[in-house]
Amino acid sequence: MLIHPFDYSRLAVELSYTLIIVFFCFMIYIKTKEMYDLTKYKGIQYFRITFLFFGLAYLFRFSFILFLLIGVTFDDYSLSIAFKFVPLVLSGYFSTMAILSLTYSTIWKKIHFKHTLLISNVIAIFISGIALISIDPFPLILSQAILLIFTIAYPIYSKSKKVSPLFILYIMFFLFWVINLLTLYTKRFLPFEIQILLNVVSIVLIGIIYYKVYRWTK
Amino acid sequence: MDKIKRKRERLEIIFDILKIIRNHQNSIKPTPLLRYSNLSSQRFSEYLTELLDKGFVKEIDDEKGKRFLTLTDKGFTYLKKYKLILGFIEEFEL
Repeated sequence: MLIHPFDYSRLAVELSYTLIIVFFCFMIYIKTKEMYDLTKYKGIQYFRITFLFFGLAYLFRFSFILFLLIGVTFDDYSLSIAFKFVPLVLSGYFSTMAILSLTYSTIWKKIHFKHTLLISNVIAIFISGIALISIDPFPLILSQAILLIFTIAYPIYSKSKKVSPLFILYIMFFLFWVINLLTLYTKRFLPFEIQILLNVVSIVLIGIIYYKVYRWTK
Repeated sequence: MDKIKRKRERLEIIFDILKIIRNHQNSIKPTPLLRYSNLSSQRFSEYLTELLDKGFVKEIDDEKGKRFLTLTDKGFTYLKKYKLILGFIEEFEL
């Protein structure tokens, strides 16, 4: 039995937003396949898996919101927690892997980590584990914000990388991902208009990245 | 020598070897290829093994049983896309 009216407007906005972002992410992954197959170049490898992970993170983020809306509509929070929990954990895992992969794709030439994939997985599992224990988006938002600060600070501090327009583009895309996690709350944390504006800016950012990829791979 | 430089060289060396083969009517013996590639025999051997394993180059024998190296479709694709690949790596600072 419906307790509250279903929030179709929010569902429509989230679905459209997710589909556009996921389309761009997966297209970047597909478009760079040939270049990677030809070269087996490490930078390209980390670059393309970044967008595969981001696409998956956005899909699970949408699943979370869908179950959240169903839970609100039927006033059944225990059901919604059970279903939300898996998408939240997976979204946390994939987005962390995406942030680490993209960062590493641009600094691997200067900073040599051993067992990069293993370390990235440990960090991603730790952060998604926080989401698992808390069953609340806030620790995930906080830990990803901290990760983002390290992502910005580390290359600058180690002087391994100059701050280029592309680096700023990446950081903004990450930042909007973290801000977008605020929409994972039952109540609208941000006004609807602001949320739509954030979504539009995120789409523009990923659109610019896709366009840059397209120019070299068409 | 840092890793990017080595990596760049690796992509460039592969390009140079493939280009030499193409410029010799897509058929050259290993010995002149080694000479034209300006690599030590050990490094040349490593690259040649890699190119054969990845399917950029294949070995063919003529009627006299002499071994020649020739480009595959993948080898031609690499030559065609090389500039784009370098441009992409530059653009995304990879």
